[in-house]
Amino acid sequence: MNEFNNRIEAQRQILQLVNRYGWAVEELFGLSAKGIGRWISVNRIDPKAALVELVQTASSKLFFLANKSQEQVSSEYRDASTEISLLTAAIESEVESLRHQAKGGVVG
Amino acid sequence: MHVYAFGSICRGDISVDSDIDLLAIVDGPDSRFNPEIFSVYTYGRIKELWDDGNPFAWHLALESRLVFSADQTDYLQALNKPKQYRNCDRDCDKFFRLFQKSHHSIMSSKKNRVFELSTVFLSVRNFASCYSLGIGVQPNFSRRSALKLGTRNAPISGDVYQILERARILSTRGYGAQLTEEEIESTLQNLPHIDTWMAALLEESKSNE
Repeated sequence: MNEFNNRIEAQRQILQLVNRYGWAVEELFGLSAKGIGRWISVNRIDPKAALVELVQTASSKLFFLANKSQEQVSSEYRDASTEISLLTAAIESEVESLRHQAKGGVVG
Repeated sequence: MHVYAFGSICRGDISVDSDIDLLAIVDGPDSRFNPEIFSVYTYGRIKELWDDGNPFAWHLALESRLVFSADQTDYLQALNKPKQYRNCDRDCDKFFRLFQKSHHSIMSSKKNRVFELSTVFLSVRNFASCYSLGIGVQPNFSRRSALKLGTRNAPISGDVYQILERARILSTRGYGAQLTEEEIESTLQNLPHIDTWMAALLEESKSNE
């Protein structure tokens, strides 16, 4: 698979992990800065939460902060697969922790 | 440094959902340009895209306007036309695979449906743009490129296309009304038709090699 499709797949995996948590209002729809901003706002998530920081970092590494699509026809993306794998694992761990806390009634 | 506007605003294709695409061409890393606002490329990379006949180079060549030039020249105009686009098969195949993955994912799970429909839109739109450029019909880089191919239009209604576009805007720009379950379900029924359409156009593209 080419690099661009790999990055979409990485984005998919991160969204699947984040959205395992039952967010109060809406899922995270995408890793753009504005997509993340909407998710934080509508679900009243603390913008300084560890998960938010991890998601924003992953977005930056995957070059999805921008909302542009035209240039995605070209292959403008650096290989950051190792970093992304580590971030994905950290996101999974953070979401599992949140789910555990929610079950215990700690997080609303 | 050169700054260009490109895309819908240069086509006069304005709607309430239009954003303004801006390109900055620079010598190297330049922190003045926010990547959330500008597509930032070096002169060398732009030249490579031109020499490769890349669809983005064609898009810029056909639909950009100079906004600022530090040296009073029009860099893109001076490059003349990009080389002939030769990777239509490869690019269409890439976007077909992207579509198929989203199709599979969305039929497997009720999670991430907006993201998957957003990716369907991305793949359909870019597939159609590459096809229109590669097959020698009128190149079309608009958001509605898949509905601008005449007899080869994507076999979906304007309403369904709009739902896909709304998913894309929710995912990338974070605004718009959430998709209803009914809208999502009606769109899912169209995905097999899109699959057949892409496969047929990809086959046609390959036979034109």
